[in-house]
Amino acid sequence: MDHLIHPIALYLGLALVGLGLCVALPRARVSPQVIGALLAAGGLGVILVLMGLKAQGELPNLYFYVFSLVALGGSLRVVTHPRPVYSAIYFILTILASCGLYLLLSAEFMAFALVIVYAGAILITYLFVIMLATQAPTEDRTEGLKSYDIAAREPMLATVASMALVAVLTGMLFTGISGLEPRRAGASHDALLAQLPRRVEDAMKDASAITFKDRIVERDGAFQIDIENRRALVTGPDGERWVDFPANLAPRNVEALGFNLLNTHPGSIEIAGVILLMAMLGAVVLSRRQVEIDEEAKVLQARNLMEGRGAEGQA
Amino acid sequence: MGTDLFMLAQAGFPEPMGGATLAHYLLISVLMFAIGLIGFLTRRNLIVMFLCTELMFQAAGIALIAFSRFHLEHSGQTFVIFVLTVAAAEAAMALALVVLLFRKRESLDADEWTEMKG
Amino acid sequence: MTIASDIMGSILHGALGAPGASGAALPAIEAGPWWVSLIPALPLLACILCGVSAAMRIKSKLPAWITVGCLGVSFALTAAMFQQLAGGRSVTIAWEWINVAWTDSGGHERSLIANFGFYVDSLTCLWMLFVTGLATLIALYASEYMSHDVGTGYCRFFAAFGLFVFSMACLVMGDNLILLYLGWEGVGLCSYLLIGYFYKKPSAVAAAKKAFIMNRIGDLGLALGIFLAFVQFGSVEYKVILEAAQPWLAAAQAGHFDEIPATVQLIPILLMIGAFGKSAQLPLYVWLPDAMEGPTPVSALIHAATMVTAGVYLIARTYPLFLVSEYALPIVAWVGALTALVAATIGMAQFDIKRIMAYSTVSQLGYMFAGLGVLTSTGAAFHVFTHAFFKASLFLSCGAVMHGFAGQLDLRKLSGVGFMKGWQFVAIAMLVGCLNLAGFPFTAGYFSKDMILAEAFVTPHMAPIGWILLLTAGLTAYYTFRVFFRVFVGPKYYEPGDEVHAHSDHGHGDHGHGEHGHDAHGHAGDHGHAAGEFHPHAPGWAINFVLLTLTVLSVGAAGLYFLGDHGGWVGKMVHASSANYPPIVDLAAHSGEAADAHAHADHGAHGSFLGMDPHKVMYYVSGIVGFVGIAIAFALHYVGRKTAATANADKLVPLLGPIPKLAQGKWFVDEVYDLLIVKPLHLISIVFAYIDKLLVDGLVNAFGWVPRGVGSGLRPLQSGNLHSYAVQMAGGVAVLLLIVFLASIAGL
Repeated sequence: MDHLIHPIALYLGLALVGLGLCVALPRARVSPQVIGALLAAGGLGVILVLMGLKAQGELPNLYFYVFSLVALGGSLRVVTHPRPVYSAIYFILTILASCGLYLLLSAEFMAFALVIVYAGAILITYLFVIMLATQAPTEDRTEGLKSYDIAAREPMLATVASMALVAVLTGMLFTGISGLEPRRAGASHDALLAQLPRRVEDAMKDASAITFKDRIVERDGAFQIDIENRRALVTGPDGERWVDFPANLAPRNVEALGFNLLNTHPGSIEIAGVILLMAMLGAVVLSRRQVEIDEEAKVLQARNLMEGRGAEGQA
Repeated sequence: MGTDLFMLAQAGFPEPMGGATLAHYLLISVLMFAIGLIGFLTRRNLIVMFLCTELMFQAAGIALIAFSRFHLEHSGQTFVIFVLTVAAAEAAMALALVVLLFRKRESLDADEWTEMKG
Repeated sequence: MTIASDIMGSILHGALGAPGASGAALPAIEAGPWWVSLIPALPLLACILCGVSAAMRIKSKLPAWITVGCLGVSFALTAAMFQQLAGGRSVTIAWEWINVAWTDSGGHERSLIANFGFYVDSLTCLWMLFVTGLATLIALYASEYMSHDVGTGYCRFFAAFGLFVFSMACLVMGDNLILLYLGWEGVGLCSYLLIGYFYKKPSAVAAAKKAFIMNRIGDLGLALGIFLAFVQFGSVEYKVILEAAQPWLAAAQAGHFDEIPATVQLIPILLMIGAFGKSAQLPLYVWLPDAMEGPTPVSALIHAATMVTAGVYLIARTYPLFLVSEYALPIVAWVGALTALVAATIGMAQFDIKRIMAYSTVSQLGYMFAGLGVLTSTGAAFHVFTHAFFKASLFLSCGAVMHGFAGQLDLRKLSGVGFMKGWQFVAIAMLVGCLNLAGFPFTAGYFSKDMILAEAFVTPHMAPIGWILLLTAGLTAYYTFRVFFRVFVGPKYYEPGDEVHAHSDHGHGDHGHGEHGHDAHGHAGDHGHAAGEFHPHAPGWAINFVLLTLTVLSVGAAGLYFLGDHGGWVGKMVHASSANYPPIVDLAAHSGEAADAHAHADHGAHGSFLGMDPHKVMYYVSGIVGFVGIAIAFALHYVGRKTAATANADKLVPLLGPIPKLAQGKWFVDEVYDLLIVKPLHLISIVFAYIDKLLVDGLVNAFGWVPRGVGSGLRPLQSGNLHSYAVQMAGGVAVLLLIVFLASIAGL
């Protein structure tokens, strides 16, 4: 762990963060949230600076600090804000900041999916439910805060438990990272292009290497794309010939993700679909208002329907 | 590396990422998880508690994406899709439950519900 | 040990020492004709059809006619079988039942073959003739006797009846011990079902259970015997076992019982226990008198004529096995003789006529066992045969009385029945039966009993048994005629029993307490009585026909004695079967002087009766003993008797001290058993119940208590509060991760 940060410094910084979090949690009377936030930020800052100093050439992108601060600040607000509506909105902020982190990590598709699904769909559902389940302030009860929103429950215990978990997790992760070898970028990703003849054609057309009448040859169900030599067998008015790939041709993130999702985890998609379906059914069943009809009424209704008088009994 | 410092994103398959960078992301992920956990443990409002679980999902997502980037392997991102799926399903069920419970007691206090006491 | 060895050795020396006279090797086994299978199949068919009738709620006498028809055909087939197959040996395999083969740990090929095969030799024919014949007749009798149950228990009765005959046929005809065991258990089951036929009567249910449980004790012995036979001979088939026993016979003949393995000698003793249970011998006889709770046809067929002779059959069938055992046959002889005596003494003091017949059955079965024990399997088989007919007719006569007098069986409440209108046939049947049982000269019973008695004196060291049997013969004559003189002759008088049933042709049978019968002139048996009083109804044609037939048969059975030499017709049958043993004296002495001289010449230790040849003198002795018994009965129970309840015998009772009381109480054997076996078992079972409750249940409950205690200890953790669960979970995950982390640092 030493090459990332000195453990004692890490744990001290984490303790500071924990203290800040504990202080920042809502309390019934005085709630020094700003102080807590500052303490936590200070602790985080110390850790990040120390890590940055050790990282030397491997410093993360500058935007990383921005996004991570916004994300953590937002999440702190989610946890501490007494009003659920605000919590939800801060959660959206956290999501957006996380999206920034995703972008930094070259996961554009997931970043935008996150915005659409989380911020756009799930959080809106939350907001709806908050609206449904929270009574609007009336005239005699202007303050809409509920007692259970005002004070946190056992902040000390929760913080200690959580920070213990954090300490163990960081300890493990940081120790483990030294043993990891990052995978080198290389030709292996290009193999994907063999599955993407239209993409190769388009790139060639863009580079004016072929005309729009040319097509990559398909023989015995396999496209004649030579990945090793970065070229493809093309047929057209000029006959068959090998054409080299444009220099910048590489599979895109989304393409790679799509292939990974559908080729490597096809079963998981099905299961995910089933889970979503069951969740939908469950939600429908659970949130339906239970209408009590006694047995006699049911019998009466059925008889009326049978005799063609309508459920209410009119002729 | 210097130029990368200010670049928001890289098209196609990027250069490999260093271990120290990964550590930064993981630190953020762990802290976000911890904040979510603290929120879950301390808040009594059911809706906020569920928001906190979403926060923990989010933290897990960041860790997955970071490892995916580190290893240049897309399975990490694929798993975030599944996390998203589970989060959506959980949100649907949880919110339906919240609505149901709220209808019964006119309260969102988690401490109100201790029927499963042993 | 030495005495027994000496006894058996000398017996067998005599028995086997005469090569000329000894039975030739058993005839070769042939494949029998297919229709032999029908003999057991038809009763089974009757049983099934009766079950179907019950399901269809048939309220007529149809089941009886089905049963009589099927049994009649079965009897006809048996007669055909006798005509064609007796004398030879044949096996008909109906279907392959059990056939497994394996290699045991010693590497030997072993196999267990038990087919539904029917082994037919003359012994089988002999038994099946009277089984199916009597079953047919008694089914016919029962069709009338059970008539007041038409529509209720009628189908059930005949279904069990058919099943019984099927089981009995399996028992007798089976070609292996397993099929015999199947039939053995089958007849036990039917006996249970039929004793408990009146299942609403607690005493009947108790008697059924008693019979079943008593038989279990014997059946255990039989089962063990079969197992041991299989272990010893590697087969349960007669053809194998009987062959395998041949080599030992020579050793037994020479008196070298120590050359015969102990297991071989143990087999007959185990089989014998089964025979004692089924044939109601000491000490397992107590179920048979109680079995009289069943309907009388059942008593006649199962508990007098057929089933109870299964033990005799078993021993006769496996006679070679018994011959090679040092102790088996002496035990059989002694047990049989003592049973005969004990049962006879009890029978003398009973008042219930059916029970007297039951004890006489036990007593006569004792005779048969004694016969087997003293080496006259011919005598035993002949006695089985004659006894079947005369005892069935005696029982059926009692049944007719019981049927006619609403269940009345007390000989103090019936008198002069023979003089009542319509009861003549019954009285004649009864008289003939009694004469047979008493051993009146020139009746069938006289000859068969005689054979056993004579042989008991002839066989070395068995004279005490002869004396016991002779005494028993006298007692038998007395108690038999006690019944006859009390019930069938003398002043007319009756009191109806408590089973007065409403009969359509008798109007309403009120409990007419027989007061009208007191002056007893012209009243009894008269159908023209005033309404509201009890009328005994004389038996109908079916009962009379059956009684007459049986009477004729039991008289005719005496004639069999003169058919051929060596024990007459039965002797011929037995000698051609596995029950054959080399004739020591048997009937050769009477039928041919040459054979007599031949047999005697070879007899090393020929017994004698007071210095005379038992075979000659026994005719007169047993005849005289029978006469004396009858005369005493005449003097005590007929002469000067004015009422039904009292007789001259009553004056004798005080002189005998406690003996009559004890005998009337059946020597209190049931009570002694209760005290010695049932009570201790009950005590032990109470102890075990507590052990079960405290120890076993406690152990089992401990498996429940431990998790329960742990659960109640951990229960506060289940606060029902979401947060506490979350804290526990987070803490748990942290601890787990810490452990993993530290382990990884430590390099584990």
